[in-house]
Amino acid sequence: MLSYLIKRILLLAPVFLAVSAVIFLILHLIPGDPVDNLLKVGSSASKRAEIEARYGLDRPLIVQYGMWLGNVLQGDLGTSIVTRRPVSQLIGQTLPHSLQLGGLALLLSSVVGILLGVVAARARDRWPDRLVMGGVLLGSTLPSFWIGLILILVFSVQLGWFPVSGARGWSSLVLPVITIGLGGIALVARVTRVAMIDTAGRDFVLLLHAKGLPPSRILWRHVLRHAMIPVVTILALRIGWILGGAVTVEYVFARPGIGTTLIKALNQHDYPVVQACLLMLAIAVMLGTLLGDIIQALMDPRVREAIA
Amino acid sequence: MFHTVRRHLIAGSTCIAALMPLSLWAQEAVFVFGSSEVGIPNYNPLTAVNTNAAFTMIYDTLIEQDGDLSFHPHLAESWEEAADGKSWVFHLKPGVKFHNGDPLTADTIVQWIGMFRSSENSYMIDNVEKVEAIDDLTAKFVMKNPDPNLLYNLSSSFMAIPNPRVVTELGEDYGITEAVGTGPFKLESFTLGQETVLVRNDDYAWASPLAENQGPPHLAKLTFREIPEDSTAFLELKSGGVDALLSLPTDYLGEIAAEPSLALAKIPGQEVYYMPINVTKEPFTDIKVRQAAALAINQDEILKNVFSSYGQVAHNFLISALPESKIDPALDISFDPDKANALLDEAGWVKGADGIREKDGKKLTVALWTQSDSVFRRLTEVVQAELKTVGFDPQIQTFDSSVIRDEYKKGEQQLAVRSYFWNNADIVDWFFGGDRVGYPNISMFNDPKAEELRAKAMTGSATQEERVANFLAYHAYVTSQFPYAPIYQPEQNMAFNKDRLVVPEVIHGNSVTGTVVQDISVKE
Amino acid sequence: MSLPRALSPVVRAAKTPMGAIAGLWLVLIIAVAILAPLIAPYAYDAQNLPASFQPPSSAHLLGTDEFGRDLLTRIIYGARTSLSVSVISIAISVFAGMVLGAAAGYVGGAFDRAVTIVVDLSWSFPEILVALILVAIIGPGVTGTMAAICVAYLAQFTRLTRSQILAIRSETYIEAARSLGAGGRFILFRHLLPNALAPVLVAGMLATGDAIILEATLGFFGLGAQPPLPSWGSMMSSGSALLFKAPWIIILPGLAVAITVVAINLFGDALIGALDIKTRLREA
Repeated sequence: MLSYLIKRILLLAPVFLAVSAVIFLILHLIPGDPVDNLLKVGSSASKRAEIEARYGLDRPLIVQYGMWLGNVLQGDLGTSIVTRRPVSQLIGQTLPHSLQLGGLALLLSSVVGILLGVVAARARDRWPDRLVMGGVLLGSTLPSFWIGLILILVFSVQLGWFPVSGARGWSSLVLPVITIGLGGIALVARVTRVAMIDTAGRDFVLLLHAKGLPPSRILWRHVLRHAMIPVVTILALRIGWILGGAVTVEYVFARPGIGTTLIKALNQHDYPVVQACLLMLAIAVMLGTLLGDIIQALMDPRVREAIA
Repeated sequence: MFHTVRRHLIAGSTCIAALMPLSLWAQEAVFVFGSSEVGIPNYNPLTAVNTNAAFTMIYDTLIEQDGDLSFHPHLAESWEEAADGKSWVFHLKPGVKFHNGDPLTADTIVQWIGMFRSSENSYMIDNVEKVEAIDDLTAKFVMKNPDPNLLYNLSSSFMAIPNPRVVTELGEDYGITEAVGTGPFKLESFTLGQETVLVRNDDYAWASPLAENQGPPHLAKLTFREIPEDSTAFLELKSGGVDALLSLPTDYLGEIAAEPSLALAKIPGQEVYYMPINVTKEPFTDIKVRQAAALAINQDEILKNVFSSYGQVAHNFLISALPESKIDPALDISFDPDKANALLDEAGWVKGADGIREKDGKKLTVALWTQSDSVFRRLTEVVQAELKTVGFDPQIQTFDSSVIRDEYKKGEQQLAVRSYFWNNADIVDWFFGGDRVGYPNISMFNDPKAEELRAKAMTGSATQEERVANFLAYHAYVTSQFPYAPIYQPEQNMAFNKDRLVVPEVIHGNSVTGTVVQDISVKE
Repeated sequence: MSLPRALSPVVRAAKTPMGAIAGLWLVLIIAVAILAPLIAPYAYDAQNLPASFQPPSSAHLLGTDEFGRDLLTRIIYGARTSLSVSVISIAISVFAGMVLGAAAGYVGGAFDRAVTIVVDLSWSFPEILVALILVAIIGPGVTGTMAAICVAYLAQFTRLTRSQILAIRSETYIEAARSLGAGGRFILFRHLLPNALAPVLVAGMLATGDAIILEATLGFFGLGAQPPLPSWGSMMSSGSALLFKAPWIIILPGLAVAITVVAINLFGDALIGALDIKTRLREA
């Protein structure tokens, strides 16, 4: 297992290299010259050259990429062109908010999603199942920004229960977490239901029933445990997807976070900030994939052998 | 039935509020910046291209301007102008100390003006030859040319006075973690794009006489939040999450009356909405087409329906409180669709079956730029529809407010909807000066006669009266060439929670400045 | 595949109760989109400022927006924009994905590996991020949105086509055809692609629902259709500032999106059942 782990982690290196190169290159396609932001009207060409040199914008692309990657690996994400502050400081301020939001949404999705999935599987094709699956369909098809707006309308404007925006205490987390969570709940409930139904029909479960174990014990101890493999795998693989949803939701609730920072920086053509945000999201996606693969390997020896 | 439910819900919300780590304690308040004030990168007045209200809390200026445009002492107790206008002497208030304990003296002023030469707004002291320290508390400004506008410039938040020693020491970091002024509040923390936390300067004893409270401010802690979306900001005020919005968007004025806990403090307006017309882009190289576009704007309809009749219409480039705005009424630009149609006919643009005009097989399709704030997006859609009624086919392009400046520099726009915040006639020079073509002169207006009048207005006025007359002539001529169409002048309104805050009846200042906040307190 | 044979699963899907209801809504909304100029009561850009923010009435069945424009008209024309943007861009994306995926699956080797790496990478990124970056490059508007949707879903179709081709390639009848001396191109076009077609098309249909949401999200950010052209998403972007003044301005377009996307999913599920391709879709 250890050697598999090491191999799998080593495999991340080329992927990281590729991702970082793509992130770096794509941003140089965005129109708009960030240097204009820094120049006073009517500045001389030499002042322009000086600023370009300061930010390394005058070097060949490949050199800029090398410099950037080298700095990134040392934890230096560069300086924001618009605010002239270290990007790592900005990320340090906003990332915790996103992690908090994403983590809670993930927690909510798994707890509620698994519960609903089990309920639906047990009541297969009866009304609780249909109800849950109907809810799942809605949860996965409603645009998250719209859900967010409706929640604000009902719970903040009409009822005044929760603050409208910002990140001030736990009460401002409730609505955004629910908004992101709805999509996650739908996904987890669907996968859990299928996995439960699948597992319930397996030989070992039939054997347990034949042995005369109480059905509830079989359900909660054996079937659920087995059914969790695909659920956990999907959750891990979809971490990026949940963070992506957070981009929109952070915007709707005007919460500080990687998403709002990214959107603002994209609009301002602030390359270093955009790069850093994308990099953070990419790392989250890669770690999620790694986690998913490891869980799968832990459960399924064949994958381990194929790699080894 | 409904009432019972409602009461339960309110009880629930109070519980939640009690648990929130909000600063609901005595003499702590949370304000929200106006949407034009968000995104300030630091609190360094020497590098600022835009300032917000917190600048005026952290720093003081030599001179203070009231809402009626009159000038009042602040750090300068009194001043004299030489008869020929070639020098000014300012007498500083004794005992003024920076937040770090350094005294403010005439030497400070000399050093600061030296640093201001390389600031973004150095044009403000272009007429100043040098500053001399006569004694500790007397500073003499020696002028290259007489400048009746010097007092105005010295009252501007760009000319707020930082501690020159700390600015030099900290370099690029100045204004981010530390900002040292002489103002009524000290900077405690600043999170870019989120919030600025200020604490009371307990030593403050040099408030402007415009404020009633001459001691330290009543508020012990003042937090400014940045909320870019207007609707969110208003909902925060309504739900008690914040105590005041420095600039309430017009959309929500009607809602204030409906909320018993909310009230308004009125401040004279300084903003003008207008439509720059790029005189170098076809078809607007033809003055008739420019005039037609300007006459197609229905100022009254916009005032009534977009801004619910709050504020007033604009018929020329300056706020109507300025004497330089009183140009010959025949030159004022007002809605006249018949004349607009006639002018376009004359210019050879013929209306097609779809209502869009054509000339030589080309449609009258024009680019109409706007920025992403919701008020601009709305106003621009109305302007688009109004231009359409006389046969233009405007295509809206929306840019983020923070990058539209860069886009203008490329000069691709034909029409745009913008606004500016300024209460001095020199704004005509800023937006139409021939040497600023590109940006800020996005009308690309460069006219020899205008340049002549401009030079006279900017540097050839010895007295205030002469300056007014010169600017009237310059402003009138620019307007007659239609490089812009005036639209609307909003009023400024601070909205606040009157159950929480005590705000003076009359606001003395041209915005919510540190001087104004001197007299604001939290109800105990 | 002859046309009637290709349509028979659609007919079978429409005969299930859920499929019937969903299908009916889709037919209705597509008809509305196509016939918009004929059935809309007003012009979509006709402003009437004094009549803004009107709640539903007999003159304006769904009320008016902040410019006094008829909301029913805007939703009808919004259907036209939202549906055409989503359908056209997904169609292009499906086509490009099939070409890429078939090429990768059929050619194999280094080309296949390169395609797989790129596709896997972009597949693990949330579509909204890919779309936001693309719109930043191309610029806001209908074209930018369409390009963004195309690229955002390209990975999904490439991946699916490739896996279908790989799965079918090893089946006995292909081996048989090859041993009978059939050329590579003949096998690819005559056997591999037609058999891979059904799952990819169904996936494309389901993705159209996601694309409508993506279009709405971009529109909400103000990056989609530019005014005065309505799309369901851009209608909500101007509505968000007016949440408590006239909430119906954002509730109604949101409902239109929600019902349509649910209908697409229900019909897609029915189609999957009728085609019996559930396992093939899940394998991908």
